[in-house]
Amino acid sequence: MKPRPPAKARLARGLKGALHPAGNDSSLLLDPRHPSAPRPEGMRRHPESEAVDMLIVGCGAGGATLAQRLARRGWRVVVLEAGPFWDPDRDWVSDEAGSHSLYWTEPRVIGGEDPVELGKNNSGRGVGGSMVHFAGFAPRFHPSDFEVRSRDGVAADWPISYEELRPHYEQLEHELPVAGEHWPWGDPHGYPHSPHPIGGGALRIVKGAERCGIEMRVGPVAIANGSFGHRPHCIYRGLCLQGCKVGAKASPLVTHVPDALAHGVEVRAECMATRIETDESGRCTGVTYFHHGEEHFQAAEAVAVAGYSIETPRLLLHSSSARFPNGLANGNDMVGRGVMVQGAPQVGGRFPEELRMYKAPPPEIASEQFYETDASRGFARGFSIQTVGPLPIGWAEHVLADGHWGQALREYMRDYNHWYVIGALNELLPRSENRVTLAEETDANGMPVARMDYSQCDNDRANIAFGKERMREIVHAAGAQDVLEIDRYAHLVGGCPMSDSPDSGVVDSDQRAWEVPNLFIADGSVMPTQGSANPALTIMALSARLAERLAAKRVGARRERVAA
Amino acid sequence: MSGGAGHLPNLGGAQSGGPPAELPRQRRGTTPQMRGRYPDYDVLEQADHWDEATRGVVLDRVERVPSIRFFDEREVATLGAFCDLVMAQDSEPRIPVLAMVDEKLSTGRAEGYRHVDMPPDPEVWREVARMLDSAAAEQGAGGFAGARPEAQLLIVRRFAEGELRWEGCPVDKAWGVAMRDILSAFYSHPWAWSEIGFGGPAYPRGYARLGPGQREHWESPPEFELDPVRDVSERGLE
Repeated sequence: MKPRPPAKARLARGLKGALHPAGNDSSLLLDPRHPSAPRPEGMRRHPESEAVDMLIVGCGAGGATLAQRLARRGWRVVVLEAGPFWDPDRDWVSDEAGSHSLYWTEPRVIGGEDPVELGKNNSGRGVGGSMVHFAGFAPRFHPSDFEVRSRDGVAADWPISYEELRPHYEQLEHELPVAGEHWPWGDPHGYPHSPHPIGGGALRIVKGAERCGIEMRVGPVAIANGSFGHRPHCIYRGLCLQGCKVGAKASPLVTHVPDALAHGVEVRAECMATRIETDESGRCTGVTYFHHGEEHFQAAEAVAVAGYSIETPRLLLHSSSARFPNGLANGNDMVGRGVMVQGAPQVGGRFPEELRMYKAPPPEIASEQFYETDASRGFARGFSIQTVGPLPIGWAEHVLADGHWGQALREYMRDYNHWYVIGALNELLPRSENRVTLAEETDANGMPVARMDYSQCDNDRANIAFGKERMREIVHAAGAQDVLEIDRYAHLVGGCPMSDSPDSGVVDSDQRAWEVPNLFIADGSVMPTQGSANPALTIMALSARLAERLAAKRVGARRERVAA
Repeated sequence: MSGGAGHLPNLGGAQSGGPPAELPRQRRGTTPQMRGRYPDYDVLEQADHWDEATRGVVLDRVERVPSIRFFDEREVATLGAFCDLVMAQDSEPRIPVLAMVDEKLSTGRAEGYRHVDMPPDPEVWREVARMLDSAAAEQGAGGFAGARPEAQLLIVRRFAEGELRWEGCPVDKAWGVAMRDILSAFYSHPWAWSEIGFGGPAYPRGYARLGPGQREHWESPPEFELDPVRDVSERGLE
C-alpha cells in the first residue's frame, strides 16, 4: 500500500491549480490588460563585448526555459532569436491563412524517400518558438522511452533515466499549467488543473474507443482551466494552432519569458545566428549573427544552441574552422543524424449530427494505451491517439489528399460541420541516414540553407498501418457513416543526440558537446528517441534539468567554474 | 493519397455535373456561386465581434482584391480556367483564387520548404501553366483556356493522377504545390466560410456551445444535409 502523503501535499492536491508555482512568476508579471505577451520595454541590455555567462540561440521551449532558470540563479544571459518579439494583440490573427508569419518559412530543401514537409506543420519562428502554434498537448514521455535499446532492441537508450526528468515534469506542469484527467499511462500521475470540457466529436470518440476496449482520457493540455495569475481562461475558440491571442495556452512567451526578463535576461529578437566562433583552444567565444542585414558578434563564456532539429545542426555544420573542419562538434560525423518525425496519420469520420470541430481546442482527448511494444503486433514500440480538429484549410488539404477536387471537393467541404478527426502519433525510429545537411543554396545572409532527408524503415510503416487500423475501428465504433484518412507527419526531434560515449552522439548526458567544453544544446535535437508523446514538455524538462546542473556546478560551463 | 477504406468511392476521376440539385440558393450575404447549406448565414455579419487585427486581414480578402502582378496575360487565362475547374467555380460570384495566389507569389510569401527535385514554388506555377497549355495543344486546342470543357476536365484529371507527361519536375508534387495554394486561398475567404457554416474568428467572444448539434446563438442551422461520400459516389461525380 502506498504511504499516505504528508498533510502539505494533501492540501496542495486539494487546492490544485489555485497554488502558484514556485520559482516562476511569469503569469503574475503579465499585464492584466494585455495578458497574451510580455513587453520587452525596460529589458536589461548587455554590450556585445561583454562576455555574458550564457548566450542562448533560440527562444523557444528549450532556450526560453534555460534562460529563465539560469537568470533565476544569477547568470547573465542573452538570447538571440531569429524571429520577432511578438505582440499577439497586434501581430496574431484568429485566422488560418493569416498566421503564416508564425512559421519558419525561410528556404529549406527536403529529400529522401518519404520527404517531410516543413513550415507550418512543425517549425516556429519568433519569441516562444513553435510552441506558439503547437496544439497544446503536453504529455510526459514514458519511463520506457529512456531504455528502448535494452527493452526492445531498437534505437538507443538515453544516457539519462525518466527519474531524472520527473521532478522537472512535475514542476513544469504547474508552470504551464497542464490540465487533464489523472493519467494512467507511463508513470501514472495527476495534473494541477482539472480537465477541460470537450466537444461533441470528442464525446463520440470516447464512446467509440470504449466499445473497442480502448480508453481515452481528457488532456493533457497546456491550457489553463480557470484563470492562472493574470492569464485568462480559455474561450474555446479553436485556433490554438494560430497562436493563442487569449493567453490561455502555454508558450514560453507567456510561461517563461516574462520571468526571464524580470531576472535580467536580454531577448534580442530578429537576430539570426550564423556562426558559433571558437578560439585556438577549441572553446566557444561567442556567436556571429545578423540583425536586419548587419553582422554582429556577441561574446560569451558559454553558448547553448536551442534552434531545434533543423537549425541547430545547420548552425553547427556552418561553424566549421581549421580546428573543426567538418563543422563544430562534428568530428564523429554525427551532427544532423538521426533526425526524427512522428508518423501522424489522421482518420476523419462523418457523423449524422453537426459536430462543428472548429470549436474547443483541437487537443481534447488522448490515449497512450498502445505506447509500448507489444510483440503480437509485429513491430517495436507504438503510438498514441489524439484529437486533431482541423480548420477549413487544414480539412480541405485532407479532402484533397484523399483524392477529391472540383465539385466533389466542394461537396465534401460543405459537409465540414459533420466531420470529426483523430490522429495517431507513431514513434518512428531514428535512422542514421535521416539527416540534416547543408544545401548548396544560400539564404539572404549568405548562409547555406538546411537540407533534410527522410526515409521510413519497415518498422515505421508497420507501426503507422497498425495505428490507422485502430483509429478506423474507433471512428466506426463511434458511429461514423463514412471515414476518410490521410498520412502525414508531426513534430521534429533528434539530429544532435545525447549519448553515453563520444563516438555515438553529439552531446553528453549534460547536453554538453563532446568536443567543445562550453557548448551546450538545449532543444529537442538532443533526444535519442522520440516516444509517441508530443515533445514540448520534455524539451522544457531537459532544459530545466540542464539549468539545475549548470547552476549547481555539476557541469562546468564558464571558464572559471570548470572543475580541474 | 487514397484512403484505402473499401467502401469509399473510386477517387480522383474526371468530374462532371454540378452541386446537388437541392442545394439552396444563398439568401443572405455572398457565397461562391451563391449556393450553400446555410442560406441565411453570413459570417461577415459577425465582423464587429472580431478583434481589429483579424478583422483587417479577413475583410481585406473581400474588399481589396489584389491586381495581378506575377502572372502574365496568357498565364492568367490558363491558370484562371484551371482554378475555376479544380474549385468548381463555374459562375459568378467567384472567390478570386488566382489573384490571391498571384499576391502570395509576387510578395514572396514562402512555405518554408522545397522538394530537392523541384524548382521554387513561383517557377512551379509557371511550369503548370506551360504544361496545361501544351497538353491542350496536343488535343488541338490553342491553349488550355480555349479547350473544350471536356478536354479541360480530362487534362486536369490526368494532372491530378500524376499522368501528364512533363519534363522538369515531378508532376504529382507540382499538383500538390498548386492545390495547396489554391485551397489556402479559397478556404481563407469568408464567402467560403458562409457556404460551409464555419463560425470563423471567435476572439474575443469565443465559443460556448461545444456539444453535439449545439450552435451559438448567431450560428445558423443547415437547411440541407447530404453525406458527400455517398452522393459523390451515387452521382458518379468522380
